[in-house]
Amino acid sequence: MRLLMCISCILFLYACSDAELSSMQQIHTGAKLYELHCSNCHQADGSGLAMLIPPLKQSDYLLKHAKNLPCMIRHGMQGEIQVNGKTYNQKMPANDKLNEQDVLAICLYVLQKFPENPVSLHSDSLIKSIQNCPSNSH
Amino acid sequence: MVACNQNKTLPILGEKSPIDSTYATVPPFVLVNQDGDTITEAFVKGKIYVADFFFTSCPTICPIMKKEMLRVYQQIKGDPAFVLLSHTIDPEFDSIPLLKEYASRLGSDGKQWQFLTGNREQIYELAEKGYYATAMPDSTEPGGYVHSGGFILVDPKSRVRGVYNGTDAKEVDQLIEDLFILKSEKP
Repeated sequence: MRLLMCISCILFLYACSDAELSSMQQIHTGAKLYELHCSNCHQADGSGLAMLIPPLKQSDYLLKHAKNLPCMIRHGMQGEIQVNGKTYNQKMPANDKLNEQDVLAICLYVLQKFPENPVSLHSDSLIKSIQNCPSNSH
Repeated sequence: MVACNQNKTLPILGEKSPIDSTYATVPPFVLVNQDGDTITEAFVKGKIYVADFFFTSCPTICPIMKKEMLRVYQQIKGDPAFVLLSHTIDPEFDSIPLLKEYASRLGSDGKQWQFLTGNREQIYELAEKGYYATAMPDSTEPGGYVHSGGFILVDPKSRVRGVYNGTDAKEVDQLIEDLFILKSEKP
């Protein structure tokens, strides 16, 4: 039985391309980083906190601003935003200790985990977005 | 399970006085709530209450604590036996209007769940000596427990009856259970 499981695992791994495998690893890393840096506020299930901290789970704001997600994570946010018809206005702190690969991994995880249909953005475009964040977004 | 709980009594925490062997109680306090009203120990007289310490701009354990306290609130809402007191430990930043907005966005009615502020030294003293030192007499680190995320259960005679990790859903489940055990306790 164990042998059979091993064989099916190996077959499964071979069935994935290198790119897919690396993306799976990134999502796995992203999940751990999310737990460490994001889940205190947005909660492990992405449900947020009442009217204080917006949800990520099935959030229309997240879908609409998916491309800006790396900059939001890196530099934080402030001011009013509308999420699923409700207004939120709590400052989100910057995470400038996270490196580009960390931010990328969190983005891949969040976009895979919380929208109703996973959003797939190319890693290169997300990295480019981190490098081109507006400097005044603090 | 239910049968066990009916027989369960909660311990009374803190040292007994060597003079008259009464238990330690939470000292009197004068604080201000989210509406600018003065709140003293008279507000919780004869009530079972849960106290915690937080600040609105805290990105670490506070949101989890508040999510858990919201769960407690939903269980006791409308029952006049219970009150919740959340104290800010950042009174310079957490102004009364800010606390008011925080409370209402969290879903508090502003009565049964109070958000309290006051003089910084007074709040820290109340937290350390009034609540946490009674709950955890072994704590030697000054200020260490103020940020610990503990929920403190206090009985109608102002005695500390339990301390629960406010970031741990299982401990908060226990707190909710213990609130009702305390309610059924004969005075």
